[in-house]
Amino acid sequence: MMCRSGRQQEPHDADGSALDAAFAAVLEDSAEELYENAPCGYLSTLMDGTIAKINATLLDWLGLEREAVVGRTRFTDLLTVGGKLYHETHFAPLLRMQGEVSGIALEVKQAGGGRIPVLVSSMVKHGSTGDPLLIRTTVFDARDRRAYEEELLRRRQAAEEARRQAEEARRQAEADRARLQDALAVLQRSLLPDTLAAVPGMEAAAYYHTASPDRLGGDFYDVFPVDAKRFAFFLGDVCGKGPEAAAVTSLTRYTLRAAALHDATPVAALSTLNTVLYDRYSAGGDPRYCTAVFGTLEPDPSTGRVTVRLASGGHPPVVVLRADGTADYVPTPGGLLVGILPSAPLAAATTVLAPGDTLLLYTDGLTEARTGEDRTSLYGEEALLAFATEHAGASPQAVIEALTGLLDGFGDGLDDDVALLALGVPASDHPTRTER
Amino acid sequence: MNLLKITTRSATTGPVLEIFGDLDYAGAPELRELVAGLTLRPGQLLILDLGGMEFCDSSGITALIAARSHAHAARADIALAAVPANTLRILGIIGLDQVFTLLPDSGPAAGP
Repeated sequence: MMCRSGRQQEPHDADGSALDAAFAAVLEDSAEELYENAPCGYLSTLMDGTIAKINATLLDWLGLEREAVVGRTRFTDLLTVGGKLYHETHFAPLLRMQGEVSGIALEVKQAGGGRIPVLVSSMVKHGSTGDPLLIRTTVFDARDRRAYEEELLRRRQAAEEARRQAEEARRQAEADRARLQDALAVLQRSLLPDTLAAVPGMEAAAYYHTASPDRLGGDFYDVFPVDAKRFAFFLGDVCGKGPEAAAVTSLTRYTLRAAALHDATPVAALSTLNTVLYDRYSAGGDPRYCTAVFGTLEPDPSTGRVTVRLASGGHPPVVVLRADGTADYVPTPGGLLVGILPSAPLAAATTVLAPGDTLLLYTDGLTEARTGEDRTSLYGEEALLAFATEHAGASPQAVIEALTGLLDGFGDGLDDDVALLALGVPASDHPTRTER
Repeated sequence: MNLLKITTRSATTGPVLEIFGDLDYAGAPELRELVAGLTLRPGQLLILDLGGMEFCDSSGITALIAARSHAHAARADIALAAVPANTLRILGIIGLDQVFTLLPDSGPAAGP
């Protein structure tokens, strides 16, 4: 190791003479030569600023002859108006106070009318008695540096502009999204009643769970008066989601309302809807359909009982919660999806609600909710019947609130819209229910 | 998610489509296109074998209805074979169990 490193020193010695020659050439460069042609400007002034000495480099930058400068002009005469002002207000006072100032950015005028950005440093030379004698000043050409700084500034401005544009685009996208959601919310509300019609001697409550705020739901319900004695209600589920489903929902809702005014018999109203949907969609090869329950309520003021006549087209059976704490489905087997065949079989049923009884309508988002640890089981009609039995005797509002809690408990097992509608006859004497 | 797979074979009664996987929003268009391209002769029976179907949503139901329309337009008939229990339950609720002929399987002996 030692030997090898010793040998490595040898080439240096061999090149030594060439290096020495180069050094000698530099050292021959006299101090005077260095002063005159240094890569910066030098000048010395009297304390009043009169230029006493100036180097060739600076004269070259200024485009001036030595004779025109020395003894005839002051340093400040070389500066632009702005530079002169800055010199008088900052540079000179600082120099008087500290005896030196370094790296101040100023601009000097050229004879041709141009200007050069420079960095100026000055130092006061004192005599042996401590009196200030003269000022020595160096002037560095800052053109390249200024150009670099301007380039940096331009880049930064460009970056800021790009950031501003990106921010603007993001704001615009957010605004568009908000507008779209507002529009969707308005459309969604147009598919559902603002308020349920007040049915004399009855209470009604409804709830709509939207699976996704971005997508229009396909579930619908309504309660409205038909004539002096009867009210009608319906609840259903259009196949699919989004704008296409919403268009079907809208057509369905207004068709049923209009059909009810013509003939409120439940089977007749749903048959009209079937014909309308079939002619509009399925006949043209684009099957769109819904499941629906349509019914009428006919309160009997003398008994406080309400006769319910209903028809179902492919919809899960409705539940009746009785005042005595029982609950049952009202079977409507054989009713077909509304809108797929020119003439659909529809199932009719009748029930009577006594005080304390509540009729519950729901869409299959409720019974098809996935439950269990691995979300593979369905909530199902049996569980719903058990839940209904537990709440039998409760008011429509209380039943809906309990079901809302049930839906919340499904968490991500609930991925469909759910519409709920409860219609009940208030208990006449509000008996206290015994908890089971 | 189980990707939809459909195989086609010919029986003496007519074409048999065997459906495997999920007949859902993603898969249903495939069945609809395949059925739309089928040439059926009057009196033939189109059988959709659902024995391997794992899931069917409302898009799938729509595809089944579209298949029925296609068969009837050609004056042919349609039947669903080996319908899984859960789908059978849904078909019962929406009344389609009376609209479709249901077969236990799509074997050679199968017929309406």
